[in-house]
Amino acid sequence: MALQPPSPQSKVPRTDVSNVVDAMLLDSRVKWIGIVYEATVGGVDTFTVNPYIVDPT
Amino acid sequence: MISRAQFLLLAAGMLSGCATQKMSGDQLARVAKDWSLSIRASQIIPVYPLTEDLQPGDVFLVQTPVEEQVKVYLAKGFLPLENLVTRLSPAGYARFYRGWPYVADGDKAPPRPWQFPKDDSPDSDFSRAPLAAFPTYNFSVSRSGGLNVAIPVQSVPVGLNLLDSASANGTITLKDAFTYALPARTMYDAIHQWCRDNADYLRQYEPTESTADGKQAANRFYLRVINRVYLVKTVDVSLFSNRGFALSGSAGVPQPVQLLNIANATSPASKDAGAPVSASNDAAPQPLAVGGTVKLAMATSRSVSLVETFRRPLVIGYLASDYAIEARGKCAAPIPTFSMLEGHGAAAGKTIEYLGCDENCGRIRPWVKQGTNQQKLETWLEKKGGAIAIADLLTGDYAGLRQRVVAELIEPSQ
Repeated sequence: MALQPPSPQSKVPRTDVSNVVDAMLLDSRVKWIGIVYEATVGGVDTFTVNPYIVDPT
Repeated sequence: MISRAQFLLLAAGMLSGCATQKMSGDQLARVAKDWSLSIRASQIIPVYPLTEDLQPGDVFLVQTPVEEQVKVYLAKGFLPLENLVTRLSPAGYARFYRGWPYVADGDKAPPRPWQFPKDDSPDSDFSRAPLAAFPTYNFSVSRSGGLNVAIPVQSVPVGLNLLDSASANGTITLKDAFTYALPARTMYDAIHQWCRDNADYLRQYEPTESTADGKQAANRFYLRVINRVYLVKTVDVSLFSNRGFALSGSAGVPQPVQLLNIANATSPASKDAGAPVSASNDAAPQPLAVGGTVKLAMATSRSVSLVETFRRPLVIGYLASDYAIEARGKCAAPIPTFSMLEGHGAAAGKTIEYLGCDENCGRIRPWVKQGTNQQKLETWLEKKGGAIAIADLLTGDYAGLRQRVVAELIEPSQ
């Protein structure tokens, strides 16, 4: 059985967005990544990172 | 020898022929799409053309990549079901429909007891089948637009002839609708068993990577397993004439059938025009396509209603799951086909909270990019990690699992 596709992750700090995206793209089914700004907490911007296996547009 | 004028005439004739063929092809494609878009609005995947021979357990081989399928689906409105691989016959109807009269497994599994209730009669009796209901769909048709297939029911062209109009707006109501299914869990077991038994056959459909020179694109194959179908026996069509719009563009349009020219004031049949009439289809054009009958229900000078009944209910849509074919002919986890095609399930899985990259995550991240370590980790996660994604493992709530990965995979190799 294949691995499940990666889940969207919330509260990802700006400094680690690239690493999370990198890890999601290890799954070759993931073709698109959506990065949505969430909030700024204590001066740190956080984002939700959404992997897509189908064109979300 | 052909003179220059003759040559030009010949060329013009050939070109117009090509244009007509092209236009006809476009219109046919448009028809399938219009119909399918209507059915899709009911949250099911349309079947085109309508068929009786589709049931839960049918397995199709889908060759196009997911994103290509979505493009085809959006462009055509439906997915061609061309490569029927097998028809699974899993037991489970009797349990799923426990207490439902005359539902059994084996030879008496649905739809057979409804399709052929009597051995010596081809007539169906779906009165005991689970009911379904569809909303009324609106559509527009034009006589010049490949009308005979504009809607896959024959009452529309008949109705347009009766209206003496080149174009019309209409509504179509799908009556006597039924549905039946097997649960996805039952299908899951059945298809995985089938995949195990036919791994050698499926191996030819293993995923392929694109070559560096670009000559071969990456490809992935899926098994589409139907688990629910929707059938319709009766179709009500109401047409409302667009005479005001049709007049300017009706040149060259074939002459309407004169048998019952309701809109023509000089026609004998139009004496009652303006007042609703009820009539049988005695006066309607005949014969019609095989498999259905059309009955004229009501007609005025501006509108006509017809009822079409198929001999036995036809499948108009389905729900299914797609199983990717993996290396060595294994079948992957199911993805609901409709969600995938509509993009509803595009974001994979439920949102998890990022919990930061701890020490073990920090060790796994560089390690997984070396050599074949990603493949090792994926195999390990399949067997021992609940098949979660690597991204989830790294920064999700899986500290214990990360600890085990380091202990079992990274440390022994150092």
